[in-house]
Amino acid sequence: MTTSEALTKPKMTIDGQVVEFEPGDTIMRAAERARVDKTIPRFCYHPGLPVAGTCRMCAVEVEKAPKLMTACSTPAADGMVVLTQSDRVRKSRSGVMEMLLANHPLDCPVCDQAGECSLQDYSYEYGPSKSEFKEDKRVWKEATTKALSERLTLNMNRCIHCERCVRFTEDVTKTNELLMDNRGWHKELTTALDEGMFNEYQGNVADICPVGAITFNDFRFQKRVWFLKEKVGICDGCAKGCSIYADEEKGTVHRYRARFNAEVNKHWICDEGRMSFHRYQNAERVIHPLLSASGSLNATTWETVVPWLLSEMKKARRILLLIGTDASSEEAATIAQMLPSFSSADFVVRSWNGTNGVQSSVDDAALDHLLRRRDHTSNTRGIESLGIKPWNSATEQNFDLAIYFRCGRATLPPVMAQKEIAWGVFDLPEIQRFAAVLPGLSTLEKFGTYTNCDQVTQSFEIVVKGPGGTASVRKVLDGMKLKSSTPVREVVRDTI
Amino acid sequence: MTKIVTYKEGRLDKYYIPALLVGLKVTLKQFYKTLFLGQATTINYPEEKREYSQRFRGEHFISVDPTKTENCTACYLCQTVCPADCITIVAGERPEEENPFGVKKEKRPVSFDIDALRCCFCGFCEEACPKDAIKLSRNYEMATLDRETAIYDLDHLKREVKGRG
Repeated sequence: MTTSEALTKPKMTIDGQVVEFEPGDTIMRAAERARVDKTIPRFCYHPGLPVAGTCRMCAVEVEKAPKLMTACSTPAADGMVVLTQSDRVRKSRSGVMEMLLANHPLDCPVCDQAGECSLQDYSYEYGPSKSEFKEDKRVWKEATTKALSERLTLNMNRCIHCERCVRFTEDVTKTNELLMDNRGWHKELTTALDEGMFNEYQGNVADICPVGAITFNDFRFQKRVWFLKEKVGICDGCAKGCSIYADEEKGTVHRYRARFNAEVNKHWICDEGRMSFHRYQNAERVIHPLLSASGSLNATTWETVVPWLLSEMKKARRILLLIGTDASSEEAATIAQMLPSFSSADFVVRSWNGTNGVQSSVDDAALDHLLRRRDHTSNTRGIESLGIKPWNSATEQNFDLAIYFRCGRATLPPVMAQKEIAWGVFDLPEIQRFAAVLPGLSTLEKFGTYTNCDQVTQSFEIVVKGPGGTASVRKVLDGMKLKSSTPVREVVRDTI
Repeated sequence: MTKIVTYKEGRLDKYYIPALLVGLKVTLKQFYKTLFLGQATTINYPEEKREYSQRFRGEHFISVDPTKTENCTACYLCQTVCPADCITIVAGERPEEENPFGVKKEKRPVSFDIDALRCCFCGFCEEACPKDAIKLSRNYEMATLDRETAIYDLDHLKREVKGRG
């Protein structure tokens, strides 16, 4: 191969547009690379799954080819001319749609997929307005809805037999729980075992199902999708930091969906992460400042808590500042730098993780071949890169005051000092031992940066507003600056 | 440019009697018609009620099937189309033991609230409903003593309505 050959990429024409592609691409892949794949409808094709070519929806016209070719399985060739919207192609797609709709129940109003359903969209775009099918529809009388597991529900009547779910369990999770029974008219999706599905990535099956046949129970019947606003975020359920879409309406997150990120999670997220947003929306979360008075914690205001905290910090001589490894890098750096300047005490800044016995990234390990990690906090690497060391509860003791900052993931450490202050995301059962609680923001409610277990640093944006009296770290520190009478001592980064 | 019209009062206007008589003429005509001819313009509401058009849009109701199960499947189409944003639905799954209909009625409204104070009675919800569940009856007597009563819940909406009420 000469140098000039290696540099020039092969080219093809899709709808009159010349696109470059990598050798080995299919037509669909080439169209995706050039971002002109919107004109090729698909049911069985998914970029994260092997090609099946069963639905025939992606058929396109290739010049000089006698028949229509499926874009998902035909290799692209140099100089190929592809038409995705010719009359022949549209007629073929219309036929495919009519065949699929022959047995599809028209229960869009009840179906959860309505609004983001491929069948709906393509029927609107390509489908015939009427059906020649006069016979009775195929109906699974006994089990119209059945549980695939406690997380998934299957409605077989809606299935269009694209087999994305089967290929997902075959090739992504490699657990082979799903299979298609029988052939043709009687083709039915079943689980291989009576126990149903057991892998930890079942939510993805509901995500990739192009119709409403498989639905995720946590989101089933909760919301119609057209009410939801799609916001981008990062799952903070473990050290992996998967990219997600957080679908939100009126300040409430209703579901997470996987967002494609080639470097972290590809197309998938685990079920635990998918349901993890409930963590921040439960009724037990402390969302107003609490201060202990006469033996119990009472609700108070920031105006009371901040001066109290300042006076406590002045009184103390040795203070432990413990930062949970679920804090964003910005928060950790700001607190570790700013807080010592409000007091002349001896400040010791340490980090705390504690999930699954993990303290530093050395203890972290993958739980399976896909995504899940042992470390259930999101920023262990990031906190480490700031130079904050894990707290050794056995050797480092004798503190007058301890401030524990965490964002809902790190566990409660053993007793740190006589007087302990909680700052961040806490639940009611956890706070009994603390002298005060300063409610902070969770991942959904702030912006910042996490560094995941593979040293990938990702930033994230605000998805919803913080509930009640929760305040960002910056706001609290600004308030402390205003309330403190002594000039703030500057602390250089290297000392922490 | 506004045109200013002035009216110059004559001598007759100053006594007000002729104008009074003109007004009394209308009153006396109605008085005579009501008392002697029985052609009253008013009715004895609330004993008598005015007959409204078949298409009149009044108080809402949700149609039920013979087993008193609501036809609503909580599809949210009425909530989506509502221009006044007065419908609030919470959907849920019907318990399996209470559900002889299978997949047809597995989704149900756990709560279905219509804020009649916000409603503009456009009837879009009725049009959007794929199950003919929500309808507007011809009942126009919706006065309440407090605001809470004007927010109709599912039990109120499922009340028995004959025809279109």
